Amino acid sequence: MNRRFRSVALAVAARSIHNVFTNPALILPSVVFPLFFFAAFAGGLARVGDIPGFDYDPGYTAFQFAFVLIQSSAFGGVFTGFGIARDFEMGFGRRLLLAAPQRPAILVGYLIAAFVRAAFTMLVVTVVALAAGAELNAGGIDLFGLYGLAVLVNLAAALWAGGVALRVRSIQGGPLMQVPVFLLLFLAPVYVPLDLLTGWIHAVATVNPFTALLAAARDLIDGDAGTLGVAVAISAGLVALFGVWALRSLRRAEAAGG
Amino acid sequence: MSQPNGIEVDGLVRVFKKGPRAVDGIDLEVPPGEIYGFLGPNGAGKSTTVLMLTTLLPPTEGTARVAGYDVVREGAKVRIAIGAALQDAALDPFLTGREHMRLQGGLHGLDRRERERRGDELLERVGLSEAADRKVGGYSGGMKRRLDLGLALVHRPRILFLDEPTTGLDIQSRTALWEEVSRLSKEDGATVFLTTQYLEEADVLADRVGIIDHGKIVAEGTPAALKAEIGHAHVEAQPANEEDRGRLDAVLERCDGDLTSIVRELDREGIRVARLTVHEPSLDDVFLAKTGRSLEGAGDDEDELLEEALA
Repeated sequence: MNRRFRSVALAVAARSIHNVFTNPALILPSVVFPLFFFAAFAGGLARVGDIPGFDYDPGYTAFQFAFVLIQSSAFGGVFTGFGIARDFEMGFGRRLLLAAPQRPAILVGYLIAAFVRAAFTMLVVTVVALAAGAELNAGGIDLFGLYGLAVLVNLAAALWAGGVALRVRSIQGGPLMQVPVFLLLFLAPVYVPLDLLTGWIHAVATVNPFTALLAAARDLIDGDAGTLGVAVAISAGLVALFGVWALRSLRRAEAAGG
Repeated sequence: MSQPNGIEVDGLVRVFKKGPRAVDGIDLEVPPGEIYGFLGPNGAGKSTTVLMLTTLLPPTEGTARVAGYDVVREGAKVRIAIGAALQDAALDPFLTGREHMRLQGGLHGLDRRERERRGDELLERVGLSEAADRKVGGYSGGMKRRLDLGLALVHRPRILFLDEPTTGLDIQSRTALWEEVSRLSKEDGATVFLTTQYLEEADVLADRVGIIDHGKIVAEGTPAALKAEIGHAHVEAQPANEEDRGRLDAVLERCDGDLTSIVRELDREGIRVARLTVHEPSLDDVFLAKTGRSLEGAGDDEDELLEEALA
């Protein structure tokens, strides 16, 4: 990465981070959504942890913490896509395209901002989960794996949503960014382990890539890194796939004049 | 031979899939340090040309070299050499003027100290020092335009593209901007490519003018040469006594626009006039002569056409 590329990426990131953290309307949804889910699932469905077949040692609160952590990372990426769409809709994207010698640096800047936003949300979610009594059996390496996995999910979601944003170049593309991620997340074993699901939802969850990510996150919280390799491979594959998608979308935006 | 601070365009065409042939084979050459006025009505192809020359839109056909670099194959080098203030000053309402300067400096690779120093200098130059720490969401149209111009200058570009920089501005803001553009060319040696639909703006600012209509350049030259091409000044007179109308018209015809001769003849024949007006040809007259239409009020909104075509 040359100096100019880095400079563009950092400038785009700094501006996006500044806007997110100085405008409650931009940061609150990405924090409130996961906390709402956590309160609803871990609080309202706590008795699920007592049903036969639910044998997750850290308990139901920690079981839900894993989901909310992954979900908040994914949604953090999607919200970054909203920001990109807004920038191109109001013409700010042209300013960036005009100034950046290497335009992929713009995308990298947005991704850095997505990471910072997700890191903040993950911190809040973790503090709330611990305060709510989530028991983490994870050691240092497991935690590193857990948050690393969440960052990969954030990156994949940001690249997906950024790709849509650069194609649609309007905030009207919001549902297109959000709905597929929402469906993938909620068609995974959110409330109970995969073994306890039945019927079509079991069939869908079995092939849903998020299921493996969620399982790995839960295993890591339980101090077991055995499934991390598969989860990292899947998330890295998603990052690569959506990376190509986002770069092609950037080319599309360039061809359209921003 | 390509000029490092100049612009060379050869057969440039832009056709939109769902729209018109917005730019239809234009050729032009702007030498270093010149202010080139690109004049035409709305929808003539001015903004599309600027988008292509600033690497924001790929041409359909033809070539263009800006600062010695091909806009398609060497876009990154072109972007380093140029600054641009486009028609809609795209500013972030959440940022202050100073924060915009920092951002733009970062985008152009300035280090932190230089970003601050250059930002302060430009905010002062465009008269926004006092408003520098206010969010631009509260700026007036003129302030936004001036900030946009300042932002375009952050990295000391060799070539500056200004797309209708004064549209919608009051006369004071317009005059201030003209002075700054003129200074940039004369003192800093910047090449300026300026699009406008205001005749006066092209007349006052531009060393040379290209007139574009329906995507084609219909006339090009210095404002004086273009006006001279369509004829000299002519004199209009109103007799004090309407009975002298016939004799007055005969004098005007005989003297063929020569003001000194007209005054002498009127005095010799004892014809008193109520009003005597010397009418210089304007760029609008040039446009009228070349296209058969008046520039004022001609054309469609190019921005709307662009939006539709790119949608």
